[in-house]
Amino acid sequence: MRAERRPEIVVEGFPARRPRWIEIATSADHKDIGRLLIAGALGFLFIALLELLLMRLQLAIPENSFLSPVAFNRMLSLYGATTVFLFAIPLVLGFFYYVAPLQIGARGTALPRLGQIGAWLFIAGGTVLYASFLFTPPEAGVNPLAPLSETAYLANNGVDAWATATGLATLGFVLIAIDLATTLRNLRAPGMAWRRLPVFSWAAAICSWLLLFIGPVMLAAITMLTIDRNFDGIFFADGSGGAPLLWQHLSWIFYSGAYMLILIAALAAIAEIVPTFSGKPLFNRGAVIGSLVAIAVIGTLSWMQNMLTAPIGIGWMYFAMLMSLALIVPVGLIAFNLIATMVGGAVRVRAPMLFALGAFAFIAIGLASELSHSLVAAAWKLKNTTDATAATHLALAGGAVFGGFAALHYWFPKMTGRTMGESLAKISFWTMTVGALLAFLPLFFAGGLEGQVIDAYKFFDGTGVNAYNLIASIGALVLTVGIVLTLANALLSRNGGPEAGHDQWGGESLEWFALSPPEPHNFDVLPDVRSARPMRDIREAIAHRAERERPPARESQPVA
Amino acid sequence: MSPNSPGADQIDTLLWIGFVAATLIVVAIVGALLFVARKYRAERGAEPRQVSGSRRGQTRVGAALGVFAAVLFVLGIVFTERAREVPATGPAGLAAAGAEPLKITATGQQWLWRYDYPNQAFSYYKLVVPVDTAVELDLVTTDVIHTWDVPALAGKRDAVPGKTNEIVFRADEEGIYSGGSATLSGQAYAAMRTEVQVVSPEDYERFVKERKTGIQAAQDRVVELIESGERDAG
Repeated sequence: MRAERRPEIVVEGFPARRPRWIEIATSADHKDIGRLLIAGALGFLFIALLELLLMRLQLAIPENSFLSPVAFNRMLSLYGATTVFLFAIPLVLGFFYYVAPLQIGARGTALPRLGQIGAWLFIAGGTVLYASFLFTPPEAGVNPLAPLSETAYLANNGVDAWATATGLATLGFVLIAIDLATTLRNLRAPGMAWRRLPVFSWAAAICSWLLLFIGPVMLAAITMLTIDRNFDGIFFADGSGGAPLLWQHLSWIFYSGAYMLILIAALAAIAEIVPTFSGKPLFNRGAVIGSLVAIAVIGTLSWMQNMLTAPIGIGWMYFAMLMSLALIVPVGLIAFNLIATMVGGAVRVRAPMLFALGAFAFIAIGLASELSHSLVAAAWKLKNTTDATAATHLALAGGAVFGGFAALHYWFPKMTGRTMGESLAKISFWTMTVGALLAFLPLFFAGGLEGQVIDAYKFFDGTGVNAYNLIASIGALVLTVGIVLTLANALLSRNGGPEAGHDQWGGESLEWFALSPPEPHNFDVLPDVRSARPMRDIREAIAHRAERERPPARESQPVA
Repeated sequence: MSPNSPGADQIDTLLWIGFVAATLIVVAIVGALLFVARKYRAERGAEPRQVSGSRRGQTRVGAALGVFAAVLFVLGIVFTERAREVPATGPAGLAAAGAEPLKITATGQQWLWRYDYPNQAFSYYKLVVPVDTAVELDLVTTDVIHTWDVPALAGKRDAVPGKTNEIVFRADEEGIYSGGSATLSGQAYAAMRTEVQVVSPEDYERFVKERKTGIQAAQDRVVELIESGERDAG
């Protein structure tokens, strides 16, 4: 008697995929959210560049009337909000959100909906900021200091748009940080102890905790500003129990922390790329990670470095100077270890490495020039001059733009399965380098020697800064061209670049074990992690097995 | 802009120290980067050495960096304290000022600086001070935050609502020093300029007396007009 036939499993076909925009809008996969954050951030970078160009055009010649004072202040405010809240922080978080779960061997994040809400809150913030063109864009400056940002002095809704936009984005960053911190705490693969965690994932953990501290501080400040402006609050009004300096403390804690966040992310990305392209492990891994933690703590504690001309006690000024100068130790150690990593290595200067080295050089120049801004009496001269513009831009453009592009070139093959065009990358790098040097070095002279002030919509003929400003404007144009070349390179290579392998660069962390681009579940199987260089272990195991299974070669000369 | 007061001198010295330190750092790091990237490039065909660190070297580098930071910290305090010192009024200065610095109030208001002299005279835009005399500027504001900034004479300081901030300087040479405001204060921020005219003590005395008489005359005239207006109406 024959057994009854089992019912066949009939596959009618996979459910039809929903339209692409619905997939993008509803996905909570960390890779989709990471890509959304990165793409959004790069889009806002492009907008910020247009604003920078308009301002530099206004400042190309003395007493120019290309932009009205109000228009200039609006460009300035939009530029400040865009570069910090809509470009640098989301770019950093995007890379963390995409790469960290892969590096720790997780199949996703712990609280994916939180990350998803966070990313869309950032998009909402950006939309609110630019929707303000429908009424009035903000005009209270890069950091809208109270009481200028109060209704008594700016009664239109520009500052409200700023507060809503940055508030939404900051709330989003905090939610993403909660998800990342939880993921890194709970979802590490078997054997992935903290001491074996890749540097970039360490940075993700450090930055998440940093954001959990500074994000709520900024949210509190923004809420207080909103209450002041709309509900007769007195938080930042003097004389009725409030204090204008309160805004400065709260906002500078956030801005200093954000500055450190960008530096930590960039340094960590560089510390991933340099060992890969030197064929060596990171020199003194533990010291580098410890230094990143130190930067987060010390750098944020130096917030009063921004308030050295304000009426605060001299003791606090020395405290700020001590914290700023203490940064020399961790940053110097990282510099030493990166250079020591390359010593004795086999350095391949491919596009990611080129951008990483450039990023490090610019961060070094920027931070070294910030040094004078922390020497109290010197800061009394340099503060709010274009010298500060130059130092901050070199460090942050070095970190967020050069460092971000290094990360982009490095992980682009993982994200898309394609590599970015190498020669276009090199042209873009050198254009950006020349542009950044031309755009910012002259401002050191204009600010440090001639005292040209920051944020001003015009400067006067006969103050000795005409040539500096003209060169800076030309430099800004060159820099923009260079950046746009890389943005175009990314767009073109997404579908048209040369196909990439799964382990494109010979990296040592687990993201190179996944396919390029990774499957939605990231990994089919996971190896036990036994060292800080799991991919190297895997490669060695494969080579070992291949050797074992190959029959030993026969002696060529038979023994007589 | 060359400094023209003892405080601004100290600031410039500290600035040079910072500049030299920064240059050292940049040259060391960028130089080392370029050197190793060139020397150890893969094309030379050597197998990369698999070394992962050295604890002793790390401690030494860390200690050296710590010493470097500590030296800068001490220098920073020394020169800041010198820049903060209240300079003594010299022999060519205003004798009437005596041991105390001459107190002038600088008021920031959108978008003008107002100066109030000890004898109730006041001036807008232009501050007149006697040469070789210690001057204390008390910075206040009637509206938003303004930063008084005349780099040749002193470091800048913020005038914050509800607070009084202080700048002490002694101008060593007669002349006109220009400056302005260094914190975004709204639309006409860039046009909020100021000028410090350093004159001989006699000229200073004459200036404040003339201002005082002029202001008094103008006030008397206003009072007179009001009174006559009332008389006419009544």
